[in-house]
Amino acid sequence: MPRKRLIFTLLHDNGNFMLSRNFRLQRVGNATWLEKNYNFAEIAFAIDELIVLDVTRGERDFPAFCACLERVTRGCFAPIAAGGGIRNVEQAKELLRSGADKIVVNSALHQDEPLIQRLAEDFGRQCVVASADLKREASGEFRLWIENGSKVVEGSAREALARIERLPIGELYLNSIDRDGTGRGYDLAMLELLPPELPVPVILAGGAGNHLHIAEGLQIPKVDAVATAHLLNFVGNGLENARHRLTEMKFDLATWLKRDCLTAQ
Amino acid sequence: MGEVLVIDYGMGNILSVLSALRYLGATPEVSCDPDAVSRAHLLVLPGVGSFRRAMESLRASGLDQAIHRAVNDRESRLLGICLGMQLLGTFGTEDGETEGLGLVDQRVDAFTPSELAGLKTPHIGFSSVTAAPESKLFAGLPADSDFYFVHSYRMPSPIPDTVVSCSHHGVSFAAAVEKDHVFGAQFHPEKSQTNGLIVLRNFLNL
Repeated sequence: MPRKRLIFTLLHDNGNFMLSRNFRLQRVGNATWLEKNYNFAEIAFAIDELIVLDVTRGERDFPAFCACLERVTRGCFAPIAAGGGIRNVEQAKELLRSGADKIVVNSALHQDEPLIQRLAEDFGRQCVVASADLKREASGEFRLWIENGSKVVEGSAREALARIERLPIGELYLNSIDRDGTGRGYDLAMLELLPPELPVPVILAGGAGNHLHIAEGLQIPKVDAVATAHLLNFVGNGLENARHRLTEMKFDLATWLKRDCLTAQ
Repeated sequence: MGEVLVIDYGMGNILSVLSALRYLGATPEVSCDPDAVSRAHLLVLPGVGSFRRAMESLRASGLDQAIHRAVNDRESRLLGICLGMQLLGTFGTEDGETEGLGLVDQRVDAFTPSELAGLKTPHIGFSSVTAAPESKLFAGLPADSDFYFVHSYRMPSPIPDTVVSCSHHGVSFAAAVEKDHVFGAQFHPEKSQTNGLIVLRNFLNL
């Protein structure tokens, strides 16, 4: 049984990294900013996995995204997933060539099932991370949204998730549009919509503002990993500190030697 | 630290292996040329994908013979990573039955449902590896250290004439093998943070 994971998600929009709140974007800085102000090399050693998503609204510059992916993943010796607007196998290949180990798919899960089949055949289903963005209606009922939260999928979120489960996927990234960027904690009610006996790991995302929120997610047995995309709540060594506190709280996270062990012979 | 040749035979992404080797100060070369492979002193055989397709690709290009020449005639050091470790074995059952390189005397099979007993497969994520006391790859690491795995097939332990360090996913399996100058890691050292970088450095510096 592998350990639980703490994942950092970077949101990219035309050369910039973004803060997202309820899927409304605010520019924070470009890759140079990230490297300088965020000490990215250190952050990369405080997480179990990195996810980089192209959330550009409107027309995407795919080559620029790949270049940015290559740049931020160069010093990251942990698994990396990337995606955002993937429409064909060639784009997936390009992301894998630019440093990704896994491909994140979202809208294509509902609009292009043959593409999901092809991705699984060509790269293995472990390479396919299914991303699902959920939002509550005024009635309290959850619906699943695609295309950066701009289009709702027919039927209930429960039905949409059951359809996703039947596709050849390796993991499920479950995100809350309502909690996204709010720092109010994860929407744990989403987990009740998951198919019983879901055979793939679940990544819970949307709303973590501090290490206690992360702990809330990690302590749920069916949650295999938790993610945060909040660039500012964990700025500096925020993620490193959160990881340290969670380890002290006896959460089953991986441990590894400190970075200076590499320089000492 | 000498030059290291990373064998590119079209199975999976080698970028992260290259950046980890460069981070450690090595100057990796990438090649699919059997002559270059048979001449290299340090070889890395990465790989993601199916056992059958990987062996077909190695045979079609003559790389299987080149690897044997390097390892057997020149005593070059070889590290197989993930599928690359499985290919060191005698036989694989993924995607049909296929003979492996036969450098390590063990076959490779899928985790069985009874072994998994409800655990998820593939085995994905960081899991603990217990280093064999005589292991060279894990020198300088605690006896139990975490490494990143992604796999559905595994080499059972023990293996004749081979130092085996084990991990556990429903059943104990070979996480790393060491036989003379042939090494294998079922996990991804290039994706296992400092722990993995230390394993790679140990391989380079042996």
